[in-house]
Amino acid sequence: MSGALAVYQKELATYFRSPIAYYVVAVFLLGTGYFFLYNIFLTGETTMAGTFQNMGMLLLTLAPVISMRLFSAEYTAGTAELLLTLPLRPWQIVLGKYLGAVTMLLSITAGTLIDLVPLYLFGTPETTTILAGYLGFVLLGMACLAVGQFFSTLTHNQIVAALITAAVLLGFWFVGHLQSFQRSDALRSLFGYLSFSHHFTDFIQGLVRTEAVTFYLVVSAIALTLSAGYLAGRR
Amino acid sequence: MSASSAVIVLESVSKRYGSRTIIHDLSFTVEKGEIVGFLGPNGAGKTTTMRMIAGFTAATSGRVSVAGFDMATQNVEAARRIGYLPERPPLYDALDVSAYLRFVARVKGVRRSAIPAELERVMTACHLEAVVRHEIFKLSKGYRQRLGLAQALLGNPEVLLLDEPTAGLDPGQIQETREVIRAFGRDHAVLFSTHILAEVTLICRRVAIINHGRLLAIDSPGGLRRAVEQTNRVTLQVVAPAPALRELLLSVEGVSSVDIRGSSGDDSVLTVECGVDARNGVEAAIARAVAGRWDLHRLERQQPTLENIFLQYVKETPAGGVPA
Repeated sequence: MSGALAVYQKELATYFRSPIAYYVVAVFLLGTGYFFLYNIFLTGETTMAGTFQNMGMLLLTLAPVISMRLFSAEYTAGTAELLLTLPLRPWQIVLGKYLGAVTMLLSITAGTLIDLVPLYLFGTPETTTILAGYLGFVLLGMACLAVGQFFSTLTHNQIVAALITAAVLLGFWFVGHLQSFQRSDALRSLFGYLSFSHHFTDFIQGLVRTEAVTFYLVVSAIALTLSAGYLAGRR
Repeated sequence: MSASSAVIVLESVSKRYGSRTIIHDLSFTVEKGEIVGFLGPNGAGKTTTMRMIAGFTAATSGRVSVAGFDMATQNVEAARRIGYLPERPPLYDALDVSAYLRFVARVKGVRRSAIPAELERVMTACHLEAVVRHEIFKLSKGYRQRLGLAQALLGNPEVLLLDEPTAGLDPGQIQETREVIRAFGRDHAVLFSTHILAEVTLICRRVAIINHGRLLAIDSPGGLRRAVEQTNRVTLQVVAPAPALRELLLSVEGVSSVDIRGSSGDDSVLTVECGVDARNGVEAAIARAVAGRWDLHRLERQQPTLENIFLQYVKETPAGGVPA
């Protein structure tokens, strides 16, 4: 575990020295702030539901920007040759880097808490619903980052990693819409189950279902395992 | 652990990428307390071999072991005992020098309490004290190269693999780096690749020459010299009539060929190159024979240089992937 921890701390030290991190934070917080104001003033309801929905979409475009550098940058800088010849197992590298990205996710999420201040000052929002929404957002983000990390292990090119990740994440987000075109119940429930947005909607409505929590965690675990497996087999 | 003191062992190692074979049936060992120089033209397979020993890539067939650990199955155990400087120093530009070294030291399992002293040790050895707090992207090429070396020395590994450690250094830095390698080589196993042949003569006990992915020779620099030059050369400058001189020289025992290059400036001074066998005393016999009759200006035995040896080996290798 100490190896993974060292990688994690190295990741944190490098994150905020990159302009991309500041770009991600700025775009995310500005975007969220805008959606928050828009939703509040349009609906006049003291709820985060609309904002969460938009945050989820925003995340689909920003998660690939966070994850694209995880391995691609190591390949192009030549540091992969160090990382992969140090006494580290592939899972330690993958986990350390993933936790670094998740920390980044948690910090941008924490930045949105400021939106709650006016909400609580001028209204009486449902705290449990908001908590559920945040839990869903973080779980969704964890799945997106794990998927993005996997595509970053596959290519030297950060842009390619980001574009493939964004395409795949959008696919997972909208796959639920295919339900309406299916006659077979099996396919309909499969598309529903695979949909990132269906599970996320549950959280936004204040529903914390084991199935949804498990779904995001399983997607993350599969993507992380694939990354570690790729690194081990790459030699 | 094997009984012998061989720390790096390659046993008929091959590496293929698709249908291309990069390394053919390579076998050699490096022992503890030995510095082995790895020579070869660009694209000969030096970096690929280094990467296989370091565990960055796996051999397609054959076996690589380091400190008794098989790189195919126990590469993490082996990695604890390897210091590796790749061709391009693997540096994180965003970190500062001490943060970078601290990261590598921690991963290499240096105890937390021992890390400051260990950083101090490698930074002193590699002359990095002046840039401890500098961000890596601001460092000059010489500093980057030496930081890469410092990283490899962390944790006092049994094996040091250095891929062109003196590339990009100025003459003073090259000198210092050689000293580091020499000192380290006394009780560790060191394999380093280089283009600078003089470097090999200066610090290596043995030299491995590789081309087109095949090992052409591995021996001490002196041994390589002897193997290459069955016949040595003696050059002399003498004032004499050419036909008579040729006749006389060929009559000296040990002289196998005479090549008279004509006069050098003054039309009576001839430059003569004689092929002689390796016996001692041939020069003296030539000198005795010539000096009695003509005016001998210069006489010297030419040692084959490592450049010549290297070029001779490399020229003899067939290109292409046909196994020998």
